[in-house]
Order: sequence, then structure tokens, then C-alpha cells
Amino acid sequence: MTVAEDLGGDAPAETGAVARIPSASARTAPELKMTARSCDVFYGDNHAIKNVDVDILDNTVTAFIGPSGCGKSTFLRCLNRMNDTIDICRVTGELTLDGEDIYDAKVDPVQLRARVGMVFQKPNPFPKSIYDNVAYGPRIHGLVRNKADLDDVVEQSLRRASLWGEVSDRLDQPGTGLSGGQQQRLCIARAIATAPEVLLMDEPCSALDPIATARVEELIHELRENYSIVIVTHSMQQAARVSQKTAFFHLGHLVEYDDTTKIFTNPHDKRTQDYITGRIG
Amino acid sequence: MGPHIVSAFDSDLQLLNRKIAEMGGLAEEQLSSALKAIAQRDVELAAEVVKGDKKLDEMEMEIEEAAIRTLALRQPVATDLRDTVAALKVASTLERIGDLSKSIARVADILSQHRPLLVVAPVVRMGRQVLGQLSEVLDAYTSRDTPLAVSVWRRDVEVDVTYNSLFREILTYMMEDPRTIGVCSQLMFVAKNLERIGDHSTFIAEMTYYIVEGEQLGDDRPKGDPIDADIAVDMPD
Ligand SMILES: Nc1ncnc2c1ncn2[C@@H]1O[C@H](COP(=O)(O)OP(=O)(O)OP(=O)(O)O)[C@@H](O)[C@H]1O
Ligand SMILES: [Mg+2]
Repeated sequence: MTVAEDLGGDAPAETGAVARIPSASARTAPELKMTARSCDVFYGDNHAIKNVDVDILDNTVTAFIGPSGCGKSTFLRCLNRMNDTIDICRVTGELTLDGEDIYDAKVDPVQLRARVGMVFQKPNPFPKSIYDNVAYGPRIHGLVRNKADLDDVVEQSLRRASLWGEVSDRLDQPGTGLSGGQQQRLCIARAIATAPEVLLMDEPCSALDPIATARVEELIHELRENYSIVIVTHSMQQAARVSQKTAFFHLGHLVEYDDTTKIFTNPHDKRTQDYITGRIG
Repeated sequence: MGPHIVSAFDSDLQLLNRKIAEMGGLAEEQLSSALKAIAQRDVELAAEVVKGDKKLDEMEMEIEEAAIRTLALRQPVATDLRDTVAALKVASTLERIGDLSKSIARVADILSQHRPLLVVAPVVRMGRQVLGQLSEVLDAYTSRDTPLAVSVWRRDVEVDVTYNSLFREILTYMMEDPRTIGVCSQLMFVAKNLERIGDHSTFIAEMTYYIVEGEQLGDDRPKGDPIDADIAVDMPD
């Protein structure tokens, strides 16, 4: 293409301006952040994930949906090697972050988890103060220079997780003393405090009331500007609201992966259809 | 497709579809009576059609309410969502078909004040053709029969062809006997309304296709390019 064509040739000025839009959107088109190829996961003899290929795009929210026990959490945990901590668990296949194999011997799982953060299905605050729970990550990864910076990161993270108002006057109290929903938001604050590139969220709203849920969804929307987010959810409405891509898992298989709008208006596979419409297959 | 786990959801969708079927049947009846009224210059039957249209308006509202309730309470997705949205759209299409039938019936009054006109017969014949299209497309919708829907959709071109030749026929009639200009322009208007009912039927065909296939039928439908006569405008209600 010549320069003249690129600028819209000898077309009027307005057309030239319009012609530049596609290149602008091409620049912002999401890029590949993580990939999985032929991924299998076994717990002893139990074949929990079967030959899964999936792309996780940058600046995109990807929802994992599927019936209980289909392997969503298992697969999510592969993305930051959280399965390493389970003795009987064996992961095969190729998983990459920015094109690099995350299961390579050279990769330090602790560093990896700073880049690929996680919020677990069950809230799991450390038996420490609220402040220390959030400060933990920035401290061990040396992300802050002084106490004032750390205070700032803690406050911002708690605010974004919409917990600040409820805990600002008792930051020194144990995180385990909070209600279930508050604990979950504390874990979200802890996960975003290290500014991960990818955030994995396993049913982050299952213990939250509608207001806190809406705030978390707003946070997800906000984080998407800079991060890549993967969320496991049992709420079809939530998947539809927050994600741009949806992956449907069934009995360890990735049955369908597509644009969220496509999945919720006209899914390709009958199993997806039966699941999202609440039918007996 | 299997039933829903929440069986009340199935009842909701079944209710919607039953109501559409009922409303469709009534719309067919209204058109059929309107045609009979102009064929037989039957003023009383025409008045009944006008009165019967209220029932269609009511049914449209009922379906709208039921569909909105389903959207709010069940948050349907995929095929269920298409079903519900299509029901809304088809109900309003049937309501418009009802309005057009009512306008057609009203022409019976004017016809009854004239000596019988030969040119009424081909208008009624066109009406039967359109009625046939409507009944078939309603069958297709109810049974989610896409091939039948597509066939109706393709055949709308025949209605357009009939309309164009009828338009010329009425025009010739008017020129031959200027005293009939007033009443013939009413017949042109009937023909135009029938042509529109034909278009509405193709829309129901498109909705059928959409529900089943999840995609729009596209717009490469053969069209007869119906004459858009200034004379064939809406008559005041
Ligand atoms: N730590 C573990 N040890 C052994 N087996 C496990 C472990 N975690 C999961 N599994 C097994 O792996 C399969 C997938 O479980 P997983 O927790 O990934 O499902 P899930 O899709 O997240 O379900 P849910 O929606 O209920 O959270 C199940 O058969 C489960 O029993
Ligand atoms: Mg899980």
C-alpha cells in the first residue's frame, strides 16, 4: 500500500481521517498474553483436564464457565503453576506467558505468581493483620521504597477492592476476623497489590452481596485497561456482563471458546447451549 | 432440545408460544373476514372486523407483558432469548397486520354504496394469496419449520408481481370509467395494504429463521419492486 492510499489517497480530508481509524484500532487489538497447547492435567489416575488449547488475550476478560467439577479451577491453577503445590497433580502440554514456557525449569514460580496473580474460590487471608495481608506481595517483591509508598499501595488496593471504607480504622486487626465477603475482597486487594499482568479469579463474587459484586465487576472492567483477566464464574449473567471471551468446559474438555456475545446468543455446541440455558442435556 | 431444569421456565416459554399461535389465528381470521366483507359488500361483517381488532391489540399487550416478565425473571440466553425476543416482534407484527385488515374492511362501506365492480374480484384474489402466505408462515413459526419459512419468504415476490399487475388493472378500469375513480383508489389502497401484509409475513419468516438458526436470513430476498403509488397511501383511521 502506498502512503497516499494509506492516508485515503486523493479522497477528501474527512475520508482520510476515517481511513486512519482502522490502523488505530489495529494498534489496540488485544494481543496474545497466555497460551495453552495440548494441556492435560492428572490428579493421580484422575484425568481432570483433557487436551485443552486456549488463548488468553491481553486487555481482555476471559470467562471460564462449566458445571461443577469440570476442571475450571484446575485449569486456572495451571496458568500460574499453583498446581505445583499439589503432590499428586501432574501437568503436561505447553503453557506460555508472553511466548515463554512457564513450566520451564528456569522459571521461578514465585516470580511467575507475582506476574500472574490469583484470587481463590475460597477466601484465604493469611493469619496476619489486614494491612500485612495486602502489604505482603509488594514487600516480598520489593515493589515499594518506603513505608509511605507501602501505605499508599495498601490503601489504593483496598479502595479498588471496595473494602477500604469498612476496614480503614482497623488495619491492624487480623484478616481472618472479617466476614466471608470481606475476606474475599481482602484477597482481591492482596492480589492486585502486586500489579500483576494477568489476574486469575476463581469465583471471586460467590460470597459477595450484590453491591460488592457490582464493585468487583467495575474493578474488573477497570483492570482490563492494563491487564488480562481470567474469571471463573457460575453466574451466566456475570460472565455475560464482564467478559469479552468465554470458554465453556465440560468433563475436562474445552468444548467451546468464542466471543462472549456469540456464546450467549448463538452457541455452536449443543452442550454449551444446554448448560447456559439451564436445560437437562 | 431437552427441557429446562427449572420447569416454570418451560411453562413461560410455552405460554408465549401458545399466545402467539392464538394471536396468529385471530389475525388470519381478521384478514379473511375483511376480504369477505369487501367481496360481499358486507357492512356488518366489516364492522365486526373493526371491533375485533381491539382483541388483537389486547393480545399484543399480553404477549409483551409475558415476554418482558420472562426477560426480567429468567434472563433467557441463546435460543430462549431468541424465542422471547421473536415473540415480542411477531406480536407487534401481527398487531399491524390487524390494523391493515381493519383498514381493508372499512372499504366495504364505500363499496356498498356503489354498484358491484368487476375489479373487486382480482383484489380479493390477491387477498387470498396473501392470506395463504400468512397462514403458511404462521405454521412455519409455530412448528419452527425453517424450510417452509424460507419458501414463504421467497414467494413474496409473487405477491409483488400480483400487486403490480393489479395496480395496472385498477388504473385501466378507472380510465375507462372516470366515475369509479373514487372507489377504485380505495381498492388500490386495499391492494397496497395487502402487499404490506405480505411483507409482514416475510418478516415472520425471518423471525422463524432467526429463532432456529440464530442468524438473520439476509436480505437477498427476490423482490418484485412494488409500485409505490402516491394514491395508495394510508387511509385515516
Ligand atoms: N486437589 C485435588 N486433588 C485431587 N483431585 C482434585 C483436586 N482438585 C480437583 N480435583 C478433581 O479434579 C476435577 C476438577 O475439579 P475442579 O476443582 O477443577 O472443578 P471446577 O470446575 O473448578 O468445579 P467447581 O465449579 O465446583 O469449583 C474433579 O474431578 C476434582 O475431584
Ligand atoms: Mg472451582
